[in-house]
Amino acid sequence: MKKIKALVFLLFVFCLGGKAQLYFTKNGSVSFFSSTPMEDIRAGNNQVISILNTGSGEIQFSLLNNAFHFKKALMEEHFNEEYIESAQYPKSTFKGTISNLKEVNFSKDGIYNITVSGSLNLHGVTKSISVPGKLTVKGNSLSASSVFKIRTKDYNIKIPAAVKNNIAETVELTVNCSYEKK
Amino acid sequence: MSKKKILLWALLAVGLTGAAVGYMIWNKPHKDVKDADALRVAATELYNRFSTDSAKARSLYTDKILEISGEISKLSVNLQNQQIILLKTPVTGAYVNCTMEEKAEGLKEGAPVLIKGICSGYMGGDADMGLPGDVFIVRGYPSNK
Repeated sequence: MKKIKALVFLLFVFCLGGKAQLYFTKNGSVSFFSSTPMEDIRAGNNQVISILNTGSGEIQFSLLNNAFHFKKALMEEHFNEEYIESAQYPKSTFKGTISNLKEVNFSKDGIYNITVSGSLNLHGVTKSISVPGKLTVKGNSLSASSVFKIRTKDYNIKIPAAVKNNIAETVELTVNCSYEKK
Repeated sequence: MSKKKILLWALLAVGLTGAAVGYMIWNKPHKDVKDADALRVAATELYNRFSTDSAKARSLYTDKILEISGEISKLSVNLQNQQIILLKTPVTGAYVNCTMEEKAEGLKEGAPVLIKGICSGYMGGDADMGLPGDVFIVRGYPSNK
């Protein structure tokens, strides 16, 4: 009898696990925007790997810092060499979960407001963050977006005094990913 | 001309030269990838190098302009409507992932291609989820050499 119960339990777990579906992209987008009275600075990275597990709500993002592209070459150089220090800290990552996964119906088209909580690793510093986002279900396709702000000093990114008026202390990050099924 | 006037003109000349140099540095263009000399490498070799000795591969290839030869696995566009060309590697699901600055015309999946671009490096996927990583190329151009 115990063996049968164990078998039923295993089948139950297996069936539940079968509902989980992995989605991924290797060409997602993260951009940032810094605005001061002196100037606006934008940069984008379109080589973001993101994996989403619709069963558990786990979601992760990773990118190479040197793949951010700026309008001005000098800004790109300063970003890589002085601020984000890409040679020393080549990657930025986020690992977290969708806190309100139950509110998302992956089998019904719609735009769902989500909250994602997890750890952002940037410039060698890991911080817990919780950010709002949107998950769009349309047919078989799934996409995610989020706009949130971070403070550069939280991640030990030092802005030299000479350009303090040009770079905002708080920068806005925009994330956009369109997923395909694994 | 009095010494005072000469000094003023000299100071003005120095100031203008400084401003011009500053302006040129501030507005210096990005690397000319399209016409630059590039290090030639096959997509399979590039991927293998990053997989087997990533530290050495980083020093050899990261931030360098490469001319990569390979077989097209998949063609697509990203959210910014830039062309994405995935080049075949020895690992299933792993690619040399090229984001093009200039669209390459007349490409077909399975055909050979030559792409020039800047190597950002290798980024792993997720081993537990069975998703291998890619080697990434930015600012890609079709190469005709």
